[in-house]
Amino acid sequence: MAQILPPFTSSVKLKYVKLGYQYLVNHILTFLLIPIMLGTALEILRLGPVEILNVLKSLRFDLVQILCSSFLIIFVATVYFMSKPRCIYLVDYSCYKAPITCRVPFATFMEHSRLNLKDNPKSVDFQMRILERSGLGEETCLPPAIHYIPPSPTMEAARGEAEDVIFGVIDSLLQKTNLKPKDIDILIVNCSLFSPTPSLSAMVVNKYKLRSNIKSYNLSGMGCSAGLISIDLARDLLQVHPNSNAVVVSTEIITPNYYQGKERAMLLPNCLFRMGGAAMLLSNKRRERRRAKYRLVHVVRTHKGCDDKAYRCVYEEEDPQGKVGINLSKDLMVIAADALKSNITTIGPLVLPASEQLLFLFTLIGRKIFNPKWKPYIPDFKQAFEHFCIHAGGRAVIDELQKNLQLSAEHVEASRMALHRFGNTSSSSLWYELSYIEAKGRMKKGDRVWQIAFGSGFKCNSAVWKCNRSIKAPTDGPWQDCIDRYPVHIPEIVKL
Amino acid sequence: MAQVSFICKRTVVSTKPVQPGKYSSLSVLDRVMERNHLLVVLYYRSKRGREVGGITKKLRESLSETLTSFPVATGRLLKDPKEHWMIKCNDAGVRMVEARAKGSVEEWLRNVDREQELKLVHWEEMFHKPYYWSTFYVQLTEFEEGGLAIGLSCTHLVVDPTCVTMFIKAWADTTLGGKMVSPPLFHPLPPRRPGNMTIGHKPYTPLINHYKSFIENPPPLAVALQRHSTATLTFTDQMVKSCMDMVKALTPFEALAALFWVCISNVKAKKNGSGLTNMSICSDMRKVLGLDKGFFGNCMVYNKVHMELGVQENDHQLIKAAMAIKEVVGEMDNEGIMDLIEWLEHNDNYQYSPPLMNGRDDLICINLEGVESYMAMFEDGYKPIRASYYIEPTVGEGQVIILPSPAGEGVLSRVVMVTLLEDEVVKLCKDALLMHFSPTILMGVK
Repeated sequence: MAQILPPFTSSVKLKYVKLGYQYLVNHILTFLLIPIMLGTALEILRLGPVEILNVLKSLRFDLVQILCSSFLIIFVATVYFMSKPRCIYLVDYSCYKAPITCRVPFATFMEHSRLNLKDNPKSVDFQMRILERSGLGEETCLPPAIHYIPPSPTMEAARGEAEDVIFGVIDSLLQKTNLKPKDIDILIVNCSLFSPTPSLSAMVVNKYKLRSNIKSYNLSGMGCSAGLISIDLARDLLQVHPNSNAVVVSTEIITPNYYQGKERAMLLPNCLFRMGGAAMLLSNKRRERRRAKYRLVHVVRTHKGCDDKAYRCVYEEEDPQGKVGINLSKDLMVIAADALKSNITTIGPLVLPASEQLLFLFTLIGRKIFNPKWKPYIPDFKQAFEHFCIHAGGRAVIDELQKNLQLSAEHVEASRMALHRFGNTSSSSLWYELSYIEAKGRMKKGDRVWQIAFGSGFKCNSAVWKCNRSIKAPTDGPWQDCIDRYPVHIPEIVKL
Repeated sequence: MAQVSFICKRTVVSTKPVQPGKYSSLSVLDRVMERNHLLVVLYYRSKRGREVGGITKKLRESLSETLTSFPVATGRLLKDPKEHWMIKCNDAGVRMVEARAKGSVEEWLRNVDREQELKLVHWEEMFHKPYYWSTFYVQLTEFEEGGLAIGLSCTHLVVDPTCVTMFIKAWADTTLGGKMVSPPLFHPLPPRRPGNMTIGHKPYTPLINHYKSFIENPPPLAVALQRHSTATLTFTDQMVKSCMDMVKALTPFEALAALFWVCISNVKAKKNGSGLTNMSICSDMRKVLGLDKGFFGNCMVYNKVHMELGVQENDHQLIKAAMAIKEVVGEMDNEGIMDLIEWLEHNDNYQYSPPLMNGRDDLICINLEGVESYMAMFEDGYKPIRASYYIEPTVGEGQVIILPSPAGEGVLSRVVMVTLLEDEVVKLCKDALLMHFSPTILMGVK
């Protein structure tokens, strides 16, 4: 019968069946409750008021019993409300916009590469091939120290970049949220590859004259997923400290880590990493509920470090000439897919609607018991989320995730466009993507956002946010002056 | 002696990306200047007590903005299918060098000579693969005790002195107020005007022959450079006027070119024999071709000045020299230049041995009277105190460049930069006829 029908009609019929099933399962409680309520209402109407009063009198309540039961109810209610985790709100966030004079067009990047690597044309060609297929645009920025011929990555220049980015982004956040520096209770700064003494968080405390009893933390070495790790840390701290504000700063300082050697696997980060940073204000204060943009729903962290291959896939080491760089192994994509699967398995039950979970359970049981050849059911995450922010680690990462999660082009648009306009800004890329969605006016109240980040270790971290209030475009932010030009079509290969 | 110390070199790019796939072709007048390059140095005073390094940053940012309007400057050279040079506007940027100098700018100008001045400009010869070679180089030298020197060098393939000055002025306008007063115009050379196509029209052969001789006998690519020296002299308004009256010249260029021709011939005659040396002039043809002064590209044309031989008294010699120059200038009209352009379009297969237009046994006199270098104001109220121009490499008998004077010195006042062999420059500065017009020596030989 199915073969007689043309394929699209059968798939349309299937779609309606699927929709019906989803609606039924997701609202099962409502469906069960309605007949019960109807039944009770009919029964009450049938009995009539006098009969009801008689039934109540026959129960013979004692004063002590009434008092005890009401105390019990109040006690249970209090314990329930006290043990409920606090609501964590993301009041607002700001992203760093580098000065346009730091722009690096492809031609300039290639020329500098050729001038600095005069004796290694093969390495230069490799960089050119990477850049052509990278998905980056002509407006990504590198810090001033990298523009020199040859680059001069001194510690002073690195501190200079850190100051420009971090202070720029915090100034913008303070201005947006009307927050006074003295009101910051928790400060977390994450920057993977640059960790001076005193730390970057101490630098912030010094510049903004923060309180002496501030809880400040500096996370370094944790890779591109450190942004969500900082959010997780902030959340845990905000559970312990009532009525507090937490400022989280995520950035990556490019200056000291520009690889100056000629090993190909280590030249890849040079082509993709660009200047960027973001600062977020999280709070557990009740009064922030009005103006907060998002509410943090879940943070799920998956660490695959117990596997040796995963541990060594992003490894900082010296090349044969003694120059330090980050070595990316060839099975990066495979390991990333594996880490993602792990993360999805944990986050799935938390966010997926009942319909998807049942289907997944049935196919799992079916595969285990009946027929192992059944295709594993990939839950449809589009049902759980309206927006996706995939870490813009590179074009390959976004392509891989789009395939694995069966996402449409519009779902990954924010990631692709952030990669094009800003490059791989490491831990802050998720915030540029979120900013893109807001700037396009697509963020409505109640929308759920899934942020996924990958990082060295190998880690895959996810955060789920729920939009607290509709965000009107045009917004101020890094996309302010260029949102109208997006989305752009990014060709497979850009001819250099 | 003041010392120049190099700080860093980097690339400056425009603020807006260039649309990919843009190309700009070079005209015949551009391509014939392949072997030359220009060097320009502008000197400025600065506000008292200003921190060293601040103006460099500001100028770098305004240069970025200016470059958005000059995609040709940020592009790279490439050969087209006909093996002719063209520019691919690939948005690669220009190189910028930052430097510091000890002392103040005024002190520097009192003691400078050619060798020192050239330290304020950065130039790199064309790479074997010119696709990675920047056509423009900017050097910003800040003087520790006050002052700024902006050095710009570029290949003559893309620009001539008039449009490079216009580029500097555009940069200055952008730094000052943000708006470019006269934006550049990029278009090919105009075709012959329809009204000019007279039947049986004889082409302007002497000019064509002049170019033909350079194309057919180019000097070898590695030319041995002798030790040249440059002197900068300035003539007051009155002196120029008296010279013009003496030789019945129409423009200061004619008068001064004639004067220097005779004086330099005298200096060389003491070595080589008598008579006037061979001489060519070089002039900007924008007005002649009906082009706006914003036209970006080469428009300078070289032509030989013909003069009968014969030893004569200095005064008569001078008048005759001026007349010969006037005659040549008059012959370089629209038709004549169009003849040259058309001839060049059919005879430009010199890809493997391009000509060197200032590279034989001619003294070259270059007319840069019209360049508005003193109008380039980067900070309010601070006009350049000196502008030096060099057209390199200097080979052949020598070079005389006639430049305008800073404002306030009079309409006819001129600055002349003379490049000759070192001993010839010394003798020239003592020449009697030249001293008759009491020039002030701004930069001499040490």
